[in-house]
Amino acid sequence: MSEVTVRKQKVRKNHTKKRLIFFGLLALALLLVAVFAGRLVPYDPYEQNLSLSKLPPSREHLMGTDLYGRDMFSRVLIGAQTSILYTLVLVLIISVGGTVIGVLCGYFGGKADSIMMRISDICLAFPGLVFALAVAALLGGGMSNAVIALAVISWPKYSRVARSQTLAVKTEPYAAAARMAGGNAWQIITRHILPNILGPILVTAVLDIGTMMMELAGLSFLGLGALPPTAEWGNMMSTGRSMLQTHPWLVISPGIAIFITVVIFNLLGDAVRDYLDPRNSSR
Amino acid sequence: MKKATALWIAACMAAGLMTGTAAADETEKKNFVFGDTTFNAENEEANINPHEAYCGWACLRYGVGETLFKIQDDSTLAPWLAEGYELVDENTWKITMKEGVCFSNGKPCDAQAVKASLEHLIEVHDRARGDLKIASMEAEGNVLTIVTESTNPTLLNYLSEAYGCVIDMEEGITEDGMVVGTGPYVAVELVTDDHLNLVKNENYWADEVKVDEVTVRTISNGDTLALALQSGEIDAAYGMAYASYPLFENDAYTFTGIQTSRSFYCQMNFQSEIIQDDAVRKAIAMGIDKEGFVGVLLNGYGYVGKGAFPETFPFGGQNVDTQTYDPEGAMAVLEEAGWVDTDGDGIREKDGVELEIKWLTYPSRQELPLLAESAQASLKAIGINMIPNVTADHNSIWKDPTQWDVYAAANVNCGLGDPMNFFSTHCLDASTKNRGQYHNDRVEELAAEMYSTFDSDERAALTIEMQQELLDDNAFIFCSFLRMSMISKASVTGLTAHTCDFYELTSDLDIE
Amino acid sequence: MKRYVMKRLLQLIPILLAITFLSYGMMRMAGSDVVEQKMENTNASVSQDVIDAARAELGLDQPFLVQYGVWLSRLLRGDMGTSYVSRKPVFSTFVGKLPATLLLTVVSILLTILVSIPLGILAAVKQNKVTDYIVRCFSFIGNSLPNFFVSLLLMYLFSIRLGWFPVISQGITMKSVALPAMTLAIAMSSKYLRQVRAAILDELSKDYVTGARARGVRFSVTMLRSVLKASLVTIVTLLTLSIGSLLGGTAIVESIFMWDGVGKLAVDAINMRDYPMIQAYVMWMAIIYVFVNLVTDLSYHCLDPRIRLGGMEP
Repeated sequence: MSEVTVRKQKVRKNHTKKRLIFFGLLALALLLVAVFAGRLVPYDPYEQNLSLSKLPPSREHLMGTDLYGRDMFSRVLIGAQTSILYTLVLVLIISVGGTVIGVLCGYFGGKADSIMMRISDICLAFPGLVFALAVAALLGGGMSNAVIALAVISWPKYSRVARSQTLAVKTEPYAAAARMAGGNAWQIITRHILPNILGPILVTAVLDIGTMMMELAGLSFLGLGALPPTAEWGNMMSTGRSMLQTHPWLVISPGIAIFITVVIFNLLGDAVRDYLDPRNSSR
Repeated sequence: MKKATALWIAACMAAGLMTGTAAADETEKKNFVFGDTTFNAENEEANINPHEAYCGWACLRYGVGETLFKIQDDSTLAPWLAEGYELVDENTWKITMKEGVCFSNGKPCDAQAVKASLEHLIEVHDRARGDLKIASMEAEGNVLTIVTESTNPTLLNYLSEAYGCVIDMEEGITEDGMVVGTGPYVAVELVTDDHLNLVKNENYWADEVKVDEVTVRTISNGDTLALALQSGEIDAAYGMAYASYPLFENDAYTFTGIQTSRSFYCQMNFQSEIIQDDAVRKAIAMGIDKEGFVGVLLNGYGYVGKGAFPETFPFGGQNVDTQTYDPEGAMAVLEEAGWVDTDGDGIREKDGVELEIKWLTYPSRQELPLLAESAQASLKAIGINMIPNVTADHNSIWKDPTQWDVYAAANVNCGLGDPMNFFSTHCLDASTKNRGQYHNDRVEELAAEMYSTFDSDERAALTIEMQQELLDDNAFIFCSFLRMSMISKASVTGLTAHTCDFYELTSDLDIE
Repeated sequence: MKRYVMKRLLQLIPILLAITFLSYGMMRMAGSDVVEQKMENTNASVSQDVIDAARAELGLDQPFLVQYGVWLSRLLRGDMGTSYVSRKPVFSTFVGKLPATLLLTVVSILLTILVSIPLGILAAVKQNKVTDYIVRCFSFIGNSLPNFFVSLLLMYLFSIRLGWFPVISQGITMKSVALPAMTLAIAMSSKYLRQVRAAILDELSKDYVTGARARGVRFSVTMLRSVLKASLVTIVTLLTLSIGSLLGGTAIVESIFMWDGVGKLAVDAINMRDYPMIQAYVMWMAIIYVFVNLVTDLSYHCLDPRIRLGGMEP
C-alpha cells in the first residue's frame, strides 16, 4: 500500500515537473516574442496607409488591416510588448514591493508594522477598480499612470501573504536557532524566511498576470489606459469593438492574443503551485 | 450532480424569461424612441431649460420650445413664432407675433409672454446677454419692441439660437429643469443623463401632432446606440459612430443627413516658438490628409474643408485659397526653412531643436481622435514628430501655452447664419477662444467694419476677406465639415436633419 | 460576541476617518477648486481679488486640515457639496442612484453563486475528466475577455439574435438587469469557480472523506453534509472579494448598458472631472466595502466557531 503511494507520488511529481517546464517554456516564448517584437514584425506597426483601410485577413496581412490601414499582425506583435511587459512590470512592482513591506513588518513588528498594516487596510478598503479609476482620473491617461493606479491598490495582497508567512517562519525552531547562533536580521530573512515564502508569492504573482491584464484593458476602454496610437491589446479591442459586426478581425486578433497569454500564465501558475506543493497536485 | 447543475441553470433561465413577458399595449398609441449621444450633462445639456447653459439645444431639438425665427438650411431666417419684423432705427427692432400661437398649456403666447421669457433669459444667462445686447423691451399686444445697447445686426439670428426658445414664465421652470413651451411635444418626465419623456401637445398651434409619446434616451456609448437600433429598441439615432454606418446601409433603415457648418479645425498657438515659424505652420497645413480623413476615416460622411464655412454658404470655402495635402511640397518648405533631418531618426531639426509639436484635442467628438491619429502619421512622414494629447481636460490645458502647439476642435462656425460669430470668438484680440493669441491687424480692421454692416452682400465680402487672411497666415486649418446624420427605421417619416442641427423632432414626425 | 462586534466597530473609526481623509486629499490634489470651476464656466476674465474673496467666503484660504475638518462636519450632516456639472447636491444624487447599483451587484452575485459553485463542485468531483477540462476551459475564456467585450457579445446574442433582453435598460427591472448582471457574473464565475474547485478538492483529500467512503456512506451525502459545509468559509471569503471587485466593476458595465446607477455616474464624473462626484463615489464605495468586510468577518464566526474571536489576525 505505502509503496504504491510513494510510487504514485513520484510519478506525479515527475508529471508536475514536466508540466512546469512545458508552460514555463511557453511563457518564455511569449516573453521572447514581446521582447523581439520589433524585429519580428513584417510591417511597421505604426505606418498608416489609408488606401489599405480595413482589409480582411489575407496572405499579405495575416490578421487584416485596421481602420488606418496598419497591418494588424504587426500591431498584435508589437502590442505584446506593451501589454505583456507593462503587465509584468506591474506585477513585479506589486509583488516585490508588497513582499518587502510584508516581510519587514512581519519580522520587526512594532509601530511601523501596525502603521503599514493600517495603510494596507485602507488600500484594501477601496474596491480595486474604484480606486484605480480615481487615481487614473487624477493622473490622466497613459499606460504608466494606469500601472501606477493599479499598483497603489494591489500591493497589500502581497504584503498580507508575506507578513503572515514571515510570522509563521519566525517562530519555527530553525529560525529561532539561527537567531540564537548570532545571525543578523538580513541573514535570517534572506536565508530562512524568503525561501519559504517565495512559493506562495510566486503563485499569486503568476496568477495575477491575467487579472491585471484585464484591469489594464478596462482602463483603456475608459480612455485611462494606453493612448493612441500605442498598440496595446486592450486598447485595440476597445477601439475596434464598434466594428465587431462589420470587420470582426479588428477585435478578434487582439482578443485571441489576450486569451492565449492569460491561459499560458494561468496554467503556469497552476503548475508552479503544484510543483511547490505536491499535496495539491494537479489542481 | 450534473442534474443538479442543469436544474440550477434552467432555474436561472426561467427566472430571466418570466420577467421578460411585458404587458401588451392597450391602445394603438404611436410611440417613438429616440437615442441621442449628446443629450447629457457633459455637453451642458443636463435638462431642457433654455435659460441654462446649452440646455436650450435639447428644448429646441426635441420640439418642446420654439423660437421667434427659424434658421433655414441656406442660413437665412424665416419667421416662426414671429410674423415679421421692422428695423425702426439702428438700435430699435419691432417684432410682430403670429396670431393664435399658444403654449402647450393653452395660454396665449403673445408679446408680453415673449418679453417675460427674454427678460428672465438675459437676467440669468451670461452668453445670451452678451449676444443679444438688449437694453430694454416693450410689449404691446402682438408687437414686441426691442432696443439694443449698441448696433446689433445679428439680433434676430441670436434670437433664433436655442436659448431663445420662448417659455411660459408664469409656469416657471421645474426643479428638474422642465419648461412649458409652444412646441409639438410636452415634457412630462426628465432624468438627467438618462431619459426625457414627452407627450403630444394637444394644443399645438401650427399643426396636428402625429406621434403620441416620445422618449429621448441618452446613450453615451456608440456601440450601445448601434445595437439598440438594430434590436429595434430605439426608432432613430443621433450621433451614431461612423464605423457602425455600414450596418444600416440597407432597406430597413433610412438616413437623413445634411452638410453642417460644424467644422473640425486646428488652431495654432502663436505663443509657441516653433509655431511662430511660418514654414512650420505651412508644412502642417500641407501635411494633413483631409481627403483621406473624410473619405476613409469618416466613411465618406463628411466634406473636405477649405475655409471656415462650407461651400453651401455664399461666403463659403469656394471663395478662398488654401494649402492642399502635399507631403512633397511640405518637405520642400521645411527643407528651405532650415529644418533638416541630420541625425537620421526621421524627425527634422534646426539649431539642435527637434521639430516636435504637441497636438491637443478631446475625445467627446468621435472625429477628433481619428484626426489626431491620422495627422500624427502623415506629419511623421514629412519629418514632424507630433505628440497627440487626447483628453477631456482640454479646457484647462489650453490655458497653459507651454502645453500645446496645435489645438484641434470641433465648432459650429455658422450655426445661426451669422459668420461673424466665428471670428469674434476665435480670431480677435478680444476673443475668449483665441487660444493661441493670434493677431492680425487687417482682421481686426475688417471685424470692426463688420460690426456696423447690415447689408448681407457686404458682410459676405468681408467674411471672405477675413477667412483668406487666416488661411494666408496658416493660423487655422479647416479640415472638414460634419455631415450630420440621423438614422431611423424605414417606418419612420418626417425626421429631417438641418444645417443648424436644431429642429429634430417636429410635428412632421410619424411612424407608419 | 457583543463585545467583539463593539471592538470591531471601534476599529472601523480610524479606517473610516482615513478613507474620508484620503478621498478629500486626493480630490484637492487634483487642483481646481469650486471657485476656479465657477470662474471657468462664466468664461469671463475675473480679477484675482474677486477670486480671493470668493475663496475666503468658502473657507478655501484656510489651512488644509481646517478645510478638511469643515468638509467632514458637513459630510456628517449629509452635505457633500454640489456637482460641478449638474449643480445638484452630490449626496442626494448619489443616494438616489445607489439602489440601482446595489440591485445589479446583488443579482450578479446570485448569478455568480449559481454558476460558480455547482460548476466548481462538478469540476472537482470530475477532476481531470473531460467535464473538468471543459469547465476550466470556459473559465479561461471568461477570464480573458474584457467585460466591455463580453457585454457586446451578450447584447448581440440575447438582444439582436434572440430578442430576449433589451440592450438599453428600461428602468430598474429584472428584465433590464439580466444582461449587465450576466456580463459581470461571467467574469466573476470564471475566476471563482476555479477557487471553489480548489477548496472542494482540498476537503475531498482529507481523511474523513476517505473514512466516510470506507464506511460506505453515500458520496453525495458526504458531499452535502461535510464537504460543502467545510468549504463554506472559503466560499464566503470569495463572495466578499467578489463584492469588492463588483463594486468597481459595475462602472464600465453600467455605462455600457445605460444602467442608471452610481457606476455610470462615476464614469460620467471622471470624464467631466467632476471632482465632488468622484470623491463621493470613491468614499462611499470604500465605506460600503468596509462594512461588507465586517459582516463577512462576523459571519465567519457563525460558520466556523473554531476561529477564535478577538485573536483573529487581520
